[in-house]
Amino acid sequence: MSDLQERFDEIKARGYAEAREGADPVNEPMIRHWAEAIGDTNPRWQPGPDCEAPPAMAQVWTMPGLVAERPPGEPLWDTMVALDDAGYTSVLGTNCDQTYARTLRPGERVSISSRLDDVVGPKQTGVGEGYFVTTRNTWTVDGEEVATMLFRVLKFKPGTGRPTVDRTKLVRPMVNRDSAFFWEGTAAGELRIQKCNACGELRHPPGPVCPSCHAMDRGYVVASGRGAVHSFLEHHAPQVPGKQLPLTIALIELDEGVRMVGEVPAGVAIGDAMEVWFDRIDDELTLAQWRPVGTAPAEPEPEPASDLPVWELPITPTLVVSTALATRDFQDVHHDRDLAQSHGSKDIFLNILTTTGLVQRYVTDWSGPQTQVLSCALRLGAPAHPYDTLRFTGEIVSEDDGVTTIDVTGRVSLGNHVNARLEVRR
Amino acid sequence: MSLSGVAAIAGIGATEFSKESGRSELQLSAEATLAALADAGLEASDVDGLTTFTMDSTAEIALARELGMGELRFFSRINYGGGAACGTVQQAAMAVATGVADVVVAYRGFNERSGHRFGQVQGAAAAQANTNGLDNAWTYPYGLSTPAATVAMQARRYMHEYGATSEDFGRVAVADRRHAATNPNAFFYEKPITLEDHQSSRMIADPLRLLDCCQESDGGVAIVVTSTERARDLKAGAVPIVAAAQGSAPDQFVMTSYFRDDLGIPEIGVVGRELWRQSGLSPDDIDTAVLYDHFTPYVLMQLEELGFCATGEAKDFIADGAIEIGGRLPLNTHGGQLGEAYIHGMNGIAEAVRQVRGTSVNQVAGARHVLVTAGTGVPTSGLILGT
Repeated sequence: MSDLQERFDEIKARGYAEAREGADPVNEPMIRHWAEAIGDTNPRWQPGPDCEAPPAMAQVWTMPGLVAERPPGEPLWDTMVALDDAGYTSVLGTNCDQTYARTLRPGERVSISSRLDDVVGPKQTGVGEGYFVTTRNTWTVDGEEVATMLFRVLKFKPGTGRPTVDRTKLVRPMVNRDSAFFWEGTAAGELRIQKCNACGELRHPPGPVCPSCHAMDRGYVVASGRGAVHSFLEHHAPQVPGKQLPLTIALIELDEGVRMVGEVPAGVAIGDAMEVWFDRIDDELTLAQWRPVGTAPAEPEPEPASDLPVWELPITPTLVVSTALATRDFQDVHHDRDLAQSHGSKDIFLNILTTTGLVQRYVTDWSGPQTQVLSCALRLGAPAHPYDTLRFTGEIVSEDDGVTTIDVTGRVSLGNHVNARLEVRR
Repeated sequence: MSLSGVAAIAGIGATEFSKESGRSELQLSAEATLAALADAGLEASDVDGLTTFTMDSTAEIALARELGMGELRFFSRINYGGGAACGTVQQAAMAVATGVADVVVAYRGFNERSGHRFGQVQGAAAAQANTNGLDNAWTYPYGLSTPAATVAMQARRYMHEYGATSEDFGRVAVADRRHAATNPNAFFYEKPITLEDHQSSRMIADPLRLLDCCQESDGGVAIVVTSTERARDLKAGAVPIVAAAQGSAPDQFVMTSYFRDDLGIPEIGVVGRELWRQSGLSPDDIDTAVLYDHFTPYVLMQLEELGFCATGEAKDFIADGAIEIGGRLPLNTHGGQLGEAYIHGMNGIAEAVRQVRGTSVNQVAGARHVLVTAGTGVPTSGLILGT
C-alpha cells in the first residue's frame, strides 16, 4: 500500500473532526454584503428584526479568514496537504451537495465538523492526473444540525492533462484591402473566390490585378464549398499557438478550380471529397475549414426549454471579486488575475460558494421570497471567467408533496459551468 | 558578355558549427570573414564589397566597421531565406565581373539554434507588413506555420504522384550522415545512421520524420570572391565560378507555392537551365553536387528538376548508393545540413570549393565540376564551380 493511501486511511479512520466554531456569529452586515454581491434582493435577507441568513451562506459562517490558521486535524486540509506533498498541487471543485434544515438567524453561532469520506484515484482526467477527494461536513448550532454538505474536489498534478489550447491565440492573418473581402466572407458564412469582372478568371489567393488581362476590376463568386483533398500533412511538432496537436492540414482543390489550405479531420486521403465549414474563432476571425462530405457534425444539442425564465448574468471582475470576498473566500484565483494565470487559469473565476448563491437566487427569484430551499446539489464544470456571460435555465423535474425539484443549468462560453438540482418548498 | 569563369572563389572561412556559439551573430560573421580572408591571403582592407542574406542580422557596414574595412563600393542583400545562399556569390561574381568591386565577401552568420530557431512557428513571418506577410495569411492561421509542415504538404503529393516512400527520403539522410561521420567539422561527426534509425525517428510533420529535417545550428561562413585572374595569384588559388543563377517560377510563393498546377519546385529548374546555359555543361559533367537538404524530399525533387534523372525517378536514381561517396553522384560530401550544420547553405558552397580544390575530407577523385544549390521551396539560386 502506498504511503499516500496510508495517509488517506489514517485521516478517514479519524471520522468526524472536533467541531470548529466560525469566527463570527451569523450577522446582519455579512448577510447584507452577501446579498449585495450576489444581487439577491429577497426581503428576508434585509437587516431588521426578521432578518434571516440565506441558506446558501451556510458555509460562509465557518470559512477560514484571510489570515486564519488551519486548525490541526481538519480532514480536508490534511488530505490536501498530503496530496500537495505528492505533487497533486492543483485543485478543482467538482461537486457540492448541500442540505438545509432551516435558515439561520443573526446571533447564532455556527460550528462545522468534517470527515474524509473517500479518496479515489489516481485517475487520468482532462485537466490531469488526480484524486477525487470527498468530505462530509455538518454545521450545527448548539448541537442542532442545521445544514450538511458533501464536497468533492479533484486534486491534480498540473501539466499532466490534455494541453489546453486557447484557440484565439492562433497566428492571425494579415488582412489588407486586397484580401478583406475573403475574410468578410468567412465571417458571413461565405467562401469567396476572387473573380476578374473583366475576363471572368477565378483566382486564389487574391490580388489587386488580374494576372491574365491586367484589369483591376475585381469581384468575387461564392464558392460551392465543395472540393477534394489535393495533399495533406499531419503536424506533430513543434507546438503551434492556438492549435491542438496532432493537426491535419490539407490543400483542397475546390470544384471551381482554385486551391485553399484548411484544417481537416485526421484520416483523410488524397482525392477525398470535402465540404467547407466555417470555424468562428472570435469576433475578429472566422476560418474556412474542411470536412469529408456528409460528415457534418450533429447540430449542437438544442438548449432545453426552460420552465424558469432565462437569466443572463454578465460576469465582471467586480462580480467575481466582490462575491468571493462576501463569501469569505480569499483564494487568490478568485481575486488576483496574475496569480490565477500563474496557476494555469485564463483569468480569475467565480468561486463555488457564489455559484451556490447564484443558483439559489435564480430559483427563488422565480419561486418567490418565501421559498424554502431544502437542498442544492451542484456539479461543477467549466470555469466562469470575467467578460463571459452566465446563462441560467431551469426545468421543473417534479412536484411532490409540496416539494418542487428543479434542475438548473448555468452555461458559459466554455460549456456548462454548473448543473444543479434543487429541492424547494414553495 | 558572359559571367562564366570571370570571377572565382579565392577563399573560404567558417566558425565552428555548434548548438550554442556563445557569441554574437556579428562576431560569428566577423570570425568567418577573417578566416576566409586568411585562406585567400587577403587583408580586410582589400575588401570593397559585401553581400549577404536579407535575413542576416549583421549589416554590411557593421561588419566593415568591425574589421576595419575601408571604403565599400558594393553592398547587396538577397531575399528569400536560404534561397539566397548561391545568390550572394552570384552577386559578388557579377560585381567583380562588371568591375564595380574587386574583392567581395559573401557572409552569413547566425545563432539559429541558441537564438531564433527557424524550425519553430514563424509567427513573425505572418506579421510582416508586406506581401510576404499577406501571402502567409493563407496558411499560418490554419496552423501550417513551420518549414517542415510546408514541405510535408509537397512531399505527400510527391509520394502520391510518383510512388516515393519515406524510405526513399531516408536514403538521403543516411548518405548525409555517412558523409558527416568522417567530417571532423560536422556536428554529427562519427555518428552515422541507418535507414532503420530514420524509419524509427519520430514524426514531425507526417510524412516528414525528425531525420528528414536538417539541424538547427549556430555558426558563420564567409566566401571571398575576386576575379579569376587575381585569384590565381593568391594563396589558395582560384575556384572559378563557372555558372551562377537565380530562379523563381510562375506563381511563386515562399515555401507555399501550392496554388500552381504542379506542387513541385520548378524554381530550381529555372536555376538549373540557367546553370547549364552559362556553363555549357550538362548533368553528366557534374562529378559531385551539394544539393540543399533542409528537408530530404527536396533533394529527390532537385535531382529531377536539375535533370540528373527524369521526373519521378529520383527514388530509383538514389536507390543503390548513387549519392554516397563512391557512387555515381556523391551528394553533400560534407554531410549536408542534416549532418554537418545548417548554415543556410553557405557551408555547402565551401564544401564545393574544397571538392574543386581537392581538399574535402570525402574527396571525390578528380572532381572538376561541382554543382551547388540553395534553399528550395523558395526563390532560389545555384552555382557550378570548376576548374
